[in-house]
Amino acid sequence: MKPDVATAVRKYRWQFSGMVAHVIQRATGVLLLVYLFLHVLTVNKLSQGPEAFNQALATFKSPLFKVLEIMLLGTVILHALNGIRITLIDLGVGHERQRQLFWVWSVGLGAVIFLAGGIPIFLAGVLKL
Amino acid sequence: MNTYQVRIVRSDEKGVSRGVETFSVALADRMTVLDALFSIQANQDPSLSFRCACRVGMCGTCAMTINAVPRLACKTQVGRLDSPSVTIAPLPNLPVVKDLVISLEPFFEQWKKIKPALHSEARDSNELARIPAGSPYARETPRKRDCITCGICYAACGVKATSGEYLGPAAINKAFLRILDPRDDATEERLDVINGERAGIWRCHTQFGCTAACPKKIDLTDTLVRLKRAMLFPSKLKKLKKKGVSKAVS
Repeated sequence: MKPDVATAVRKYRWQFSGMVAHVIQRATGVLLLVYLFLHVLTVNKLSQGPEAFNQALATFKSPLFKVLEIMLLGTVILHALNGIRITLIDLGVGHERQRQLFWVWSVGLGAVIFLAGGIPIFLAGVLKL
Repeated sequence: MNTYQVRIVRSDEKGVSRGVETFSVALADRMTVLDALFSIQANQDPSLSFRCACRVGMCGTCAMTINAVPRLACKTQVGRLDSPSVTIAPLPNLPVVKDLVISLEPFFEQWKKIKPALHSEARDSNELARIPAGSPYARETPRKRDCITCGICYAACGVKATSGEYLGPAAINKAFLRILDPRDDATEERLDVINGERAGIWRCHTQFGCTAACPKKIDLTDTLVRLKRAMLFPSKLKKLKKKGVSKAVS
């Protein structure tokens, strides 16, 4: 990033929170679409018999997939909370406080839920504690 | 006096890019980007083109992109940018005429579509419209009437960047004001335009870019949200219009 643009992002990210939220919503949406394909592909394994399905599920128990699962959790939380924020704004509720809604509701509350859900998955799935 | 590196995105008289040129400019604390441009034009490159008129932020002529944010050059103090360098580019979403000069023609083409002028059946009447002080029109519209048609909201709009047909925030705001205007009788026609699938308010993704960039601090997203709700619940619009207006009286 050019220094001026970096300064602008640092200086005006609060002012342009709505745009930041918009980009995050689109990016998480695309990630969820990728996950959806993977999910359908896995469920489709059922048509090949129980062994194929169990084999697919065994793959998802590896630490790498557990890390991806934690990332999926974060993506779902951010997309869902921000989606609620956008719905409220479009209905005319709280759009005057859309920045606070984004940082406190979508990011802040999202981080709390993410940690609450992500830490147990990390401990059990990655560290095997 | 501090010395700033001013990087300007240049283009020739056909609007073809000539890349970025850097100028070194000494400026006092409270000097503006417009002052920097005048200094460059006077002392370093007389061919530099930019527009300005009032120099006090009320004409909107000197709108340009300054350090990645669209704003008025006359109201932007270089010292407050918190950067030793300043990058200046023409407004996006509008055709470049030369250097920092853009054509506002597409902006006003959209502006015309919402019929910005007053359309009153009683145009020749000498009666005055009465607007009660407590009415929504009197209460809500003053904050939205300050538009100086600078094109900054149009440039800051992410949707406008991808859709040439979209009306843009300024035109929709003007339509909103006219819809609530007690003297106006072209509400249905305006609603048809702003309800359009490709050009209308439904294209807005509530990114708040227009509201964040507007130099007159007009809450443009509020206008769009209100109109969206009005479209979903037409009775609300009728109520608002009824409350907001009382027809011309003798």
